[in-house]
Amino acid sequence: MTAVSNALWRAFGALVVALMLTPLALVVLFSFTDNALTNFPIERFSTRWFRTLFERAEFWKAFGNSLTIAGSVAVISSVVGTLAALALARLGERLANAALVTLCFPVMLPALVIGIALLVFFNKTGVPFSLATVILGHLVITQPFVILIVYARMVGFDYAAVDSARDLGASPWVAFWTVTFPMVSTTVIGAALIAMAISLDDFIITFFTIGGGNTLPTYIWGKVRTYLDPSINAIGTILLALTIASTVLALRLSRYRG
Amino acid sequence: MAADAKRPDGGRTPLVQLRGLTKSFGPVVAVRPLDLDIYAGDFFALLGPSGCGKTTLLRMIGGFTEPSGGTIAIDGVDVTRLGPEKRPTNMVFQGYGLFPHMTVRQNIGYGLRLARVAVAERAGRVERIMDLVRIAELAERRPDALSGGQAQRVALARALVMEPRVLLLDEPLAALDLKLRKQMQEELRRIHRQIGGTFVFVTHDQGEAMGLANRIAVMEAGSCVQEGGPEEIYRQPKTRFVSSFIGEANVLAGERRAGVVTLGAGAGFAEAGADGTVSVVVRPEDVRLDPGADAEIRLDGRLEDVVFLGPYTRYRVVLDSGEEVVVHAGDAAGQAVGERVAVGWRRDRQRLVQGS
Repeated sequence: MTAVSNALWRAFGALVVALMLTPLALVVLFSFTDNALTNFPIERFSTRWFRTLFERAEFWKAFGNSLTIAGSVAVISSVVGTLAALALARLGERLANAALVTLCFPVMLPALVIGIALLVFFNKTGVPFSLATVILGHLVITQPFVILIVYARMVGFDYAAVDSARDLGASPWVAFWTVTFPMVSTTVIGAALIAMAISLDDFIITFFTIGGGNTLPTYIWGKVRTYLDPSINAIGTILLALTIASTVLALRLSRYRG
Repeated sequence: MAADAKRPDGGRTPLVQLRGLTKSFGPVVAVRPLDLDIYAGDFFALLGPSGCGKTTLLRMIGGFTEPSGGTIAIDGVDVTRLGPEKRPTNMVFQGYGLFPHMTVRQNIGYGLRLARVAVAERAGRVERIMDLVRIAELAERRPDALSGGQAQRVALARALVMEPRVLLLDEPLAALDLKLRKQMQEELRRIHRQIGGTFVFVTHDQGEAMGLANRIAVMEAGSCVQEGGPEEIYRQPKTRFVSSFIGEANVLAGERRAGVVTLGAGAGFAEAGADGTVSVVVRPEDVRLDPGADAEIRLDGRLEDVVFLGPYTRYRVVLDSGEEVVVHAGDAAGQAVGERVAVGWRRDRQRLVQGS
């Protein structure tokens, strides 16, 4: 009985995982074919679509923009978010919860509303559209995530460790860098990666706030509107590789040595 | 129980001097203006029930809580406004506060590294202190691989390696089970003897205070109600609170009029003092069942309960006034529960305190 139900559950789990991963696998698979359309049968494997992509200047431009934006968003939101979370953790629980709900408001709004609101705002205040406006726009939605994640870590935080550091001769600044930050660094890096991921694949807010130019998602959108070719799969594969590589890197970096 | 140690000061100035030290959190007064002297070499206990302000007091000495008023001087230097990193104190925190991302050796060496002690000297001092607290074999472990008792030793070593003028310990044994607690008590006494430092610790456990300290300050509701050696505090409690907090005590209500005290339970005796309500405090081991002629105070009652506890037998007697008296006696006298009995004690064994 239990053996059978165990097997059923395992099969069900495998099915769910398969359904979730198949589209990703297909994207990677088709990015390496010679087919002119995204379809079976696959006759020959090649890197043709990557070469096509790499020859286009607008791809490199969009790629660069995406990296600039996602990188800036990750750095800014993790610094500001960590500071905010540290401050919130020192408030009373009731005050902190009220502040968190307020800060998380943007997450509960549809991205479309935020996009339009930002468009109107930048327009009225006369701020020229650029990558900077996109970064500000992304911060609106990534910031709450970073604050929530780091705050959750701070709730169970052992403040006696920080007190100990002070007691053993560390100034507040030294105590932060030698004890507080190493203790929460994994969480902060994880939060920065999530901010980066949100920024990398955001389309709506980018679309409303970028003015001219492209990021990878708006570039794909532009291509889909004109002609669907497998080089889109190549872009997808590149994004996937970037995400996995940066996660692995972040995990290695967060190991404390010292 | 340690003998009441003589003051080690011999007229010298105290190592730690608290003057009018007070702390309020908003409208709540945690520590009322308080004076306290701690001398070099003392193993000093701040004893009191939870919420009496003892931990706040310790944290003020360590520099973690800013006093609302008063001064703290250590070694004659006013440190009231200094941060914890600038004080000659080190603290062992209740939750230990070990650095989870460092090994035991790195934890212990942390303070020396910040103080820029040369690598070779640092390594030597860390080794010596690990030997002293007997954790040399744990050097490369991380805190999450330590048991409670081991973590306690690491926290102790990390503070001691700094050679503080005063070592502060916040409920050092509270998180350990009974057997470990006994063992750590002995360890702490040995370490204190071996390095001859000044230790100040906070505890709510009177047995721990009696077993470790040579001086005890009993705290109640933010005030220090009595300070002295363990025996003095046990034998001559100044208030009813102290008498019942330290060990077991019988407290009987009475009234004094024109120098004569009359107990609600019947007996009376002459003792000069102000008129008003008084309490007589007497320890269970000082009360006799069927007292002999030398017992100046005698009361009648009914034997309610007898429990044989090994070293002594515990008798519970309900007096005719309804009050209870507990007697600890070494020899079972053979009285049966329900019988009428007399209890009594010598005048010099009781303490009289004002109020009820």
